[in-house]
Amino acid sequence: MEKILLKNIDNPNSAGINEYIKAGGYQGLSKALGLQPKDVLEEVKKSGLRGRGGAGFPVGMKWSFALADPKFPKYLICNADEGEPGTFKDRPILEKNPHLLIEGMVISGYTLGSEYGYIYLRGEYPLAKDILNRAINEAREKNYLGDNILGKGIKFHLVVYQGAGAYICGEETALIESIEGKKGQPRNKPPFPVNSGAWALPTIVNNVETLSNVPYIVTIGGEAYSKIGSKDCPGPKLFSVSGCVEKPGVYELPMGTSLKDIIFRHAGGIKGGKKLKAVIPGGISTPVLPADGIDCAMDFVAMPKAGSMLGSGAVIVMDESVCMVRVTYRALKFFEHESCGKCVPCREGTDWLRKILERIENGKGRDGDIELLSDVAANIAGKTFCPLGDGAAGVINGMLKHFRNEFEEHIKNAECIFS
Amino acid sequence: MITLTINEKEITLDKPVTVLEAAKLAGIKIPTLCYHEALKPYGGCRLCVVEVERMPRLQTSCTLMSADGMVVKTESEAISKARRGILEFLLINHPLDCPYCDKAGECELQDMVNKYGASAGRYKEEKRKVPESHKDQILARNMERCIVCTRCVRMCGDVQGASAISIIGRGNRSRMEPFSSAAFNCEYCGNCLTVCPVGAILSRLYIHSFRPWQLDKEVETVCSYCGVGCSFVAQVRDDSIKRVIPRFDLGLNKGLLCSRGRFGYEYISSPERLKTPLVRKHGKLEESTWSEALSVVAERLGHIKKTHGGSSIAGIASPRCCNEDNYVFQKFMRTVCGSNNIDSISRTGFAAAQKYFEDLLGQGITANMIDGLKNSDAILILGGDPTAINPVLGLSIREASGRGAKILVLGNAKGLERFKTLHIMPEVFKEADTLESLLIGIYNARGTRGEKPAIDHGIKSLAGKTGARTAVPEFDELMMTLLESKSASIVFGPDLVQRTDGHRSLFAVSGLTYLLEARLYLLSEKPNEQGVVDTGCVPDMLPGGRPLNVYDFRRKFEEAWKGPVPAEDGLTLFEIIENAGAGKIKAMYIMGENPVFNLPGGPYIKNKLQSLDLLVVQDLFLTETAEIADVVLPALGWSERTGTYTNLERRVQLQRKTVETLHGMEDWRIISEVSGRMGCKMSYTEVRDIMEEMAGVSPLYRDITYQEIGKGNCLWPYHGEPLRGEMKTVPAAADIEREHREDFYLSVEKPLFHSGTLSGKSPALMKIYPGPVLRVGASAAKKAGLKEGDKVQFFTQTGSREAVVSIEESIRDNRVYYSNNFKGSGALGLMTFTIDEVTKAPGLEGCEVKIKKL
Repeated sequence: MEKILLKNIDNPNSAGINEYIKAGGYQGLSKALGLQPKDVLEEVKKSGLRGRGGAGFPVGMKWSFALADPKFPKYLICNADEGEPGTFKDRPILEKNPHLLIEGMVISGYTLGSEYGYIYLRGEYPLAKDILNRAINEAREKNYLGDNILGKGIKFHLVVYQGAGAYICGEETALIESIEGKKGQPRNKPPFPVNSGAWALPTIVNNVETLSNVPYIVTIGGEAYSKIGSKDCPGPKLFSVSGCVEKPGVYELPMGTSLKDIIFRHAGGIKGGKKLKAVIPGGISTPVLPADGIDCAMDFVAMPKAGSMLGSGAVIVMDESVCMVRVTYRALKFFEHESCGKCVPCREGTDWLRKILERIENGKGRDGDIELLSDVAANIAGKTFCPLGDGAAGVINGMLKHFRNEFEEHIKNAECIFS
Repeated sequence: MITLTINEKEITLDKPVTVLEAAKLAGIKIPTLCYHEALKPYGGCRLCVVEVERMPRLQTSCTLMSADGMVVKTESEAISKARRGILEFLLINHPLDCPYCDKAGECELQDMVNKYGASAGRYKEEKRKVPESHKDQILARNMERCIVCTRCVRMCGDVQGASAISIIGRGNRSRMEPFSSAAFNCEYCGNCLTVCPVGAILSRLYIHSFRPWQLDKEVETVCSYCGVGCSFVAQVRDDSIKRVIPRFDLGLNKGLLCSRGRFGYEYISSPERLKTPLVRKHGKLEESTWSEALSVVAERLGHIKKTHGGSSIAGIASPRCCNEDNYVFQKFMRTVCGSNNIDSISRTGFAAAQKYFEDLLGQGITANMIDGLKNSDAILILGGDPTAINPVLGLSIREASGRGAKILVLGNAKGLERFKTLHIMPEVFKEADTLESLLIGIYNARGTRGEKPAIDHGIKSLAGKTGARTAVPEFDELMMTLLESKSASIVFGPDLVQRTDGHRSLFAVSGLTYLLEARLYLLSEKPNEQGVVDTGCVPDMLPGGRPLNVYDFRRKFEEAWKGPVPAEDGLTLFEIIENAGAGKIKAMYIMGENPVFNLPGGPYIKNKLQSLDLLVVQDLFLTETAEIADVVLPALGWSERTGTYTNLERRVQLQRKTVETLHGMEDWRIISEVSGRMGCKMSYTEVRDIMEEMAGVSPLYRDITYQEIGKGNCLWPYHGEPLRGEMKTVPAAADIEREHREDFYLSVEKPLFHSGTLSGKSPALMKIYPGPVLRVGASAAKKAGLKEGDKVQFFTQTGSREAVVSIEESIRDNRVYYSNNFKGSGALGLMTFTIDEVTKAPGLEGCEVKIKKL
């Protein structure tokens, strides 16, 4: 498949506006501004584009909700708080192809009647911040941003807002709180951001990758775009592959490429010729799959049937030498550290789980610990304010479902069997 | 109409509410912890989860809005398990120190675990350790017990508007902290205490001193500090008040209190209280007996009356005393002493302003519900900071701001800094000009209403005067905002009365109220300023606002009181003082007031009082005035006696006796004893008898009873009717031209943490605000080279004081503020004053100050 999102990425100057334009950049914008906003929306709807942040919500539908709200101004926020462990798919766009995102945002802003955009950037991406700011300045100079875009009287301003390193700020309402200068904690829903987001005004939050698809949809038309990849959720998809593979990295492949192919055809198979043990297919919050469960299509529809989720498309590969108790402990340490503290089950439950896992990994497991882990996870799952707690409980459930024996061994032998 | 089913019970709602509230309406109890009726829903504790048909997961009922056709279950196996799980989570790091914790017995977590929790815990790991913080002198923080429900933070931010605390840290390291991290740098309202469901925030006033189940009694009563009259419950053990707690279903304050109300109650048990009557013998006050002291007063008053006539006696009543005390006091002065020379310190603000407003706009013009403020779309605030003078009224202004009202502040008002829309800062001496210009501007845009000839005429002739009188920044915007407003309110404080041309501001505000059809609120520093007026403790009106000089009215009272009432109007406060000694006033009877300290020109006042033939003082403490009295009679204070106060919205409220005391007598009883000894026996045996009499004679209180008052709904005009006509002409006085001569002008600070000198006897309030400082605005300080903490000496025409400078950003002009709350160092004693010929109130604005760095 030709590269769409990572086009031109091998060009060392790909982040510059001239290179971007030379490679056909900003043509989608020119075309879009020649159309009525509702026609652009129609193309996006036809394309079948679904949100790439992890939830897979149909983009056209989200946009329609925001458009239906009569309040102005409306804000467009790009969620660049790429914090899900294992995920680094947005980073090449931000660092190597920033104008693609800017172009996508200007088109989206035009479609949504939004004149103000934010890029909420992960705190740990300082390089991307500089690159984005440079790109925004370039775009403003060339009239792709500002008060009179391409001389058509269209207005769109873009600001980079850097987070302070909290995972929860990737959740859209916590992200909005953070932009408003408040502590990053999720809000009650409803009202949803499309009606009452930043400063209580209609706000559309889309992922970097999602917005970066928009120029291409406008260029080739929604109909043609919908033919790429899976029928139910078309388009190109970025997969960030990490862990025990020969060639870790970001791969742009059609949505629906099989997990097995991603690991073995594209990422070069298991490092050092070892045996595959497990794969977390969509970032740490998605349930783990055992070695024999990876023959599945990576998209929003097929993955739940295979017992996991597409999530952010962050494929974490573990070989036979990896201790699954340690992986679980490490995951829970992350969730415990990143729990915002707003709701009780997540705040207290993740800490408790981490402590139990730490004990088991250190050879101090007790009889009943596995049942306790499972029950504490059950007391978290479905009871938390936002999906963070569900993610934590999902890790426990997935690990205990496929690798219960490793936990039992740890407790029985009173030590880590892999150390 | 929404119909939903909860636990197979069909519930129909008129307006959409949350499922939790709908269940409550239907009598179905859902357990909650982070939910609080006074706060916005949070959805953090997850205890209130319910099952809703066609919804995939358990839903928090506190955040879920009811929808038509919704089918809800509040109890099921899954819900019970979820609740058990949540309570277990809440306890894993909880210290389980109930035997030691003050909250035990009234702890919501304890109650919840008892009802919904598991019998044993499964947590075997180490608990989180956070030492209890006693870095603050008033509030203790125990973050091991904290369940991070954020009720305190939401209360502090959304309701109190102080935003002084926050949840610091993330996840299981979350804890509530003041921003200073140690002491609370806050308004000390203590409303966080009220809403804390566990023992995480505790008042150090009573920590470890009692258990909730060891209380002997709880008494619903009213606060004694300001004219709002907040209700609370005083909890008593061993005949002493352990604490006061507000209730969300009690009183107009709806569960909120300010620092004075919550922490200031201890003054009543101060060891400095007067215990026995004192009589001056050989130039010295000596302890005496009641019988001797009362006889001395009666004899000497009788003698002076016989020698110099009744009009040589004057009485000063008190806005800190109850209606009953004040009523008996003026009755005694009028019928027994034969004098109408009755006034109170309210002449310096509230009483003067109210008389002016009522004369022009009709009786009851200031009788507006505090709660209504929040529905205003524009609020003009002038003459003081309402959030300090009447803090709980101030909260309504802050709430209005949250609802989008335009907050228009004229003058300095620290507590509204973060809430104001516009700030108008007239120069010293230019306030009346500014207000008159505003009135003329509104008149030019709108014309008059033609309903009140006197005020219509007054506005027209004011507009006829030539020339634009003032130009202050943002003036036009202020005028436009007021013209656009549909429901304006005006909140008027005492400062603008205390001007030599105060009547001009009063007229302008009357005119604005009239043209804008605004609701007028008159701030009241003392708890019963309205009551002092209503009970007739004014030189020209009988109880109920009846003019004294109308024969028919006077005759009615003479019949009821079985004695003559002098016909001529008496003297006002400052006229009384001016005439003391050398003049015609020979004896003064002062009930619950300290003019030497609380009136401007202290040394002058003291001199005058010392030249009297007889000075009688009834008070709780040996005040500066009591020290120079001939007889001092110890009275009873708040919580020691029953009586009524009338608040600034003219709501009559009942203060109930809460504790017994061995010393002192009710003010009314002392008067009644003196009266008896002067040959006029008063027939009251208990305070109720007085209210019964008042209800009979004062048309204002027709048929009013304690039972009715106790319900808190005795609002103007009660069962009576307005009794006084409006004035036909606007009273006027010659304009005075004054010049700005000095760099600084002294003003009296009205601190949030103090009120008069009573609060100084409260250890807690003294910890929060221990002594006076000289507050200087940031830019004025810069100009004068003053810095925070500088030691200075400041001089007025009559004296000087040393003080420490405190830079206050919110002071925008060249006024410097110094308090009048601390013994030996009051601002008023340093002030000179001139009297406004119309209102008879003292003008204090021209007090020039020189500041010298030490």
